[in-house]
Amino acid sequence: MKKWVCISTMALGTMLAGCVGGSGGGNESEEGGGGEGTISFIHWRGEDKAVFDELIAKFEEENPNIQVDMTIYPSEQYQSTAQTLLRDGSTGDVFTSFPGSQMEIINQAGLFEDLSGEEFLENYNDELITAGQIDDKQMAVPLQLVFNQPVYNAGLFEELGLEPADDWEGFLALCQELKDAGYTPIAFPGSDIGPGQFMNSMMMNNAPEEDIFERLMAGEAKLTDEWWVQTLSQFQELEERGFLNADSLGTNHTSAIAQLANEEAAMLASGSYAMAGVKEINPDIELGLLAPITTEAAEAEWEGINTTTFMLAVNANSEKKEAAKTFVEFLSDVDNASTYANETGQHVTVEDVEYESEELKSTSEWMDRNTRFQPRFLITNADIERAVIASIQSVVGGETPEAAAEEAQQIVDENLD
Amino acid sequence: MNFRKNKSLFLFLLPGLILYSIFFIVPTINAVIYSFTDWDGLSPDFNVVGFDNYINIVTNDSIFLKAFVNNIKFMLFVLIFQTVFSLIFAMFLIKNTKTNIFLRALYFFPTILSSVSVAFIWTFIYDPSIGVLNTVLDSINLGFLKQSWLGNQDLAIFSVAVTQVWFHTGQMLIIFVAGLQAIPKDLYEVADMEGARKWDRFRFVTWPMIAPSATIVMAYTTIQSFKAFDLIFAMTRGGPNYSTEILATLIYSTAFRSFEFGYASAQSVIFMIVIALITVAQFRLLRASRVQE
Repeated sequence: MKKWVCISTMALGTMLAGCVGGSGGGNESEEGGGGEGTISFIHWRGEDKAVFDELIAKFEEENPNIQVDMTIYPSEQYQSTAQTLLRDGSTGDVFTSFPGSQMEIINQAGLFEDLSGEEFLENYNDELITAGQIDDKQMAVPLQLVFNQPVYNAGLFEELGLEPADDWEGFLALCQELKDAGYTPIAFPGSDIGPGQFMNSMMMNNAPEEDIFERLMAGEAKLTDEWWVQTLSQFQELEERGFLNADSLGTNHTSAIAQLANEEAAMLASGSYAMAGVKEINPDIELGLLAPITTEAAEAEWEGINTTTFMLAVNANSEKKEAAKTFVEFLSDVDNASTYANETGQHVTVEDVEYESEELKSTSEWMDRNTRFQPRFLITNADIERAVIASIQSVVGGETPEAAAEEAQQIVDENLD
Repeated sequence: MNFRKNKSLFLFLLPGLILYSIFFIVPTINAVIYSFTDWDGLSPDFNVVGFDNYINIVTNDSIFLKAFVNNIKFMLFVLIFQTVFSLIFAMFLIKNTKTNIFLRALYFFPTILSSVSVAFIWTFIYDPSIGVLNTVLDSINLGFLKQSWLGNQDLAIFSVAVTQVWFHTGQMLIIFVAGLQAIPKDLYEVADMEGARKWDRFRFVTWPMIAPSATIVMAYTTIQSFKAFDLIFAMTRGGPNYSTEILATLIYSTAFRSFEFGYASAQSVIFMIVIALITVAQFRLLRASRVQE
């Protein structure tokens, strides 16, 4: 049986590797290890290609014995195939991982090289790289820091004399004023990333304990409990009062970005990573970040949501681990991380980085605020994650919060059995 | 053909047989084997779990049932409209005039597009705020018909089905045209002499004579409907709230998002059996309406 599995896996891996192509000839080095040869670097961020090309050129100049062969996959494809590609060690000497279920799966397959004790870890903010730790071992280092909470048109808010609210009633009043002024309060990309993003800030204070989804997956908490039903009820309220854009479940992220950029909508329910896209369409727009506080102000424990992602890792099956670590070390350097941050418009977890753009500077304050790691990424079972997201779509589509929660809990129960 | 006398001829079958075995028979057998395991697709080891996966699918998997129901809705819609439209168009375009040949090519054109391109085109058409469909409805004073075509959970599966019909009608049209052109003209002359009306001509001559083509069209349409993975994945990814989840997208999700290859293999085996049963049923039903050869 094992033979069949090995043969099948190798065949599948070979086929996939062949299909995705790549920009180079793979690992042509004859020398394994020792910080030499061609290493394969795989990730999902096509929008970062230019800056990585620049950084790789610099790296190869500084390390003439090491070449980097970068292959970029669409993120959906990356999530589904990266694990298979990494298995035989010839692809993805350096790879990136999403936190959450993908990290869990890669870890279970034993594909993370333990990076604990590496000197370059000292360049990072200790708190922000905990997402890359499993059983106290640093399996990966998240390079990016994003805030998964609504982006808002700060110029418009100022013009209308509005400020982000500090409780739920205040948030509803804010939305009402925006609506009365003729704006769509929230552009909600409900057909793709919206539910999975907005749920985080909507639930962060309804269930302030960070282990809530861990408990859900252990059968100790339920989606039919108060915290999730209340979250769904608040989604329902936003929908019923016309605070979400019309036909939000048919709206994708690109379209929602356009609504904010064109100043039809005042807020965009995705995250800080969308700011560059908004600015590209409307360079004059002033942007900020806010998070809906869904409780009384005094009860709120969290101010926002962060995700440390794009987790750099070294493949445990790689034959060029030293060279791979050298490249990760290079990316962890403050100057190189600054280049990456400023050219991609993203915050990074490396300390002492100088942010140049106004947006990055203005949102840097969130690095010091009381933000919580994205709860959705703590759902390590993909079926349960889908059920949670589907219950939001169900409520926005007209179902009652109780029925939607019941339906989602049924799927959770099926997965726990 | 005598095997002993024509051994060399069978050698010509070998390349095809080998390729077919590698890419179809072996993976199919593997899928059946994995369906009895809890293999995650990555680990070298797994456990044999007997019929647990199958029992779980039947008794404890509400999403599988939902995907199956969605698949049936999708299939029926596509089967009815694709077959009817392609037959009607074929009857109008049966003669080999220059205009008809051009129109056949035009209708066939969507078939040569990639399904992802088709998905992008139709996602744009269906976009609730800037989409062509809602804009046109507005401009002809039918704004009350505007919908969130892919966002409405009751409508989304049919919206995708319309795209599937648009995508493949031209292909089926060609099969029907070939079938219609093969009907001997003297059958119609006899029907005319017997005083048959247009409907009678269709019912007693055309339909029985094109039943073999209809069998192919309907079987192919059914299989296509069950395998419409790429279109649905690119347009809705099975959402919102599983309303466009079909068996193919669910199996992908189970295998490549949840990494439950064993369970996904069991879903695939059931999927194969369902398609086989429906196709056999169709063949039997349509055989009844064929003329005796």
